[in-house]
Amino acid sequence: MNATVVLDYRDVRKNFGSFVALDGVSTRVHKGEVVCLIGPSGSGKSTLLRCTNGLEKLDGGTISLDGIALPDNETGMRDVRRRMGMVFQSFELFPHRTVIANVMMGPITVLRLSRHDARQRAEALLEKVGLSEKAESHPASLSGGQQQRVAIARALAMQPEVMLFDEPTSALDPETVGEVLNVMKRLADEGMTMVVVTHEMSFARRVANRVVVFERGAIVEEGPPSQIFDAPTVARTRDFLGHLGWHG
Amino acid sequence: MTFDWGIIWHYRAALADGVAMTVLLAVATMLIAIPGGIVLALMRLSPLRPVSAASACFVEFFRNIPLILLVYWAYYVMPVAIGIEFSAFTTGLAALSLNVSAYNAETFRAGIVSIRRGQGEAALALGMSQWQVMRQVVLPQAVRRVLPVLASTWVSLFKDTSLVSVIGVSELAYVSLQIRSQTFRILEMLTAMAAIYWLLGYPQAKLVDWIHRRYGVSE
Repeated sequence: MNATVVLDYRDVRKNFGSFVALDGVSTRVHKGEVVCLIGPSGSGKSTLLRCTNGLEKLDGGTISLDGIALPDNETGMRDVRRRMGMVFQSFELFPHRTVIANVMMGPITVLRLSRHDARQRAEALLEKVGLSEKAESHPASLSGGQQQRVAIARALAMQPEVMLFDEPTSALDPETVGEVLNVMKRLADEGMTMVVVTHEMSFARRVANRVVVFERGAIVEEGPPSQIFDAPTVARTRDFLGHLGWHG
Repeated sequence: MTFDWGIIWHYRAALADGVAMTVLLAVATMLIAIPGGIVLALMRLSPLRPVSAASACFVEFFRNIPLILLVYWAYYVMPVAIGIEFSAFTTGLAALSLNVSAYNAETFRAGIVSIRRGQGEAALALGMSQWQVMRQVVLPQAVRRVLPVLASTWVSLFKDTSLVSVIGVSELAYVSLQIRSQTFRILEMLTAMAAIYWLLGYPQAKLVDWIHRRYGVSE
């Protein structure tokens, strides 16, 4: 792929006390690419995502967005965060606000859009995720899948250059996983740059351009899904997929 | 022994003024102590050690000395210490506000701490500043969550306003005790005083119960 590099990770290191969460991770994410991070729990995938938008501070190495290293001050990081959308495992919608107010909050507070413009943008996004009729509801009255779709709309309202998904379907009932994955698939088809931490192997296989396999804070193997799922070159990738019951 | 309950009716205007003063004191105290408590709670949670320590000292001092002592202290010591003499009302209001602010600070702190970390992270991820996160996401949820506790504090405060009678603020307790010493109708006045406090306090307590049911459990 010759597209421009959006995210560039170089020898990224992160420790939590004596636990090494990221042990020198280097990889790149190109414009329009969907990269799925897979691997066992605690292997560092989520940590890499959280480092990407500065929710965790690096202990070594660099992460660059569009060729510029992430700033290490809070004010600079704010400008970087508004260019990345983040979707969390536990949705984290704001329970005291209605669905549409959740989606409008970023554009109003951070981008200083007028209420009118923010509302228009939010209405369009809720329609996109198929939840227009829930605009005036409170998040607590929505199913998990619906809440996660609102969370995706909330992140998209900032018109980010890249979307980060941190196990977006892990907290969902099985019957609502599909609706969230469909929204993500459509987003990928529209050319959104996406980094997705996931345990949904069929999604990774179907949608990802590249799959990155993590273990113990390091990348074991990366490549197109056909390589990872059908002909893994590394034994540990085969082991991990075998544990998940994947018979590639 | 004969009773003269007519004495209460006779002094109804004075008693009504006392009630008005009690309500005014309680309302004014809360109007100061809610923002005061929030500021103290935010200071307490500040990463800057001196700021957080200053708030902790304030809270632990004013929460742990008896309110009546604080009232006397404010009345006799404050004018000497600062050199300015305040009216009894202002002094009483200051003492009550210091005490209730300290309690509210702990209440708000508990509320803020109880909000899931992910909520703040989701707001930060949108590009909000720490202050915007606090004001728009954490505080509104925290306040809702501690509403029942604030309501209980209000009910205690309403009765505690009687303590400022010792410095001559003409609220309900002071007025009643004045009438008692002028008329020597001790039993009648103390009974009337109890009845009035109860009649004012009971609906408030019921309201608190309702708030507990309405807001007690969220999410």
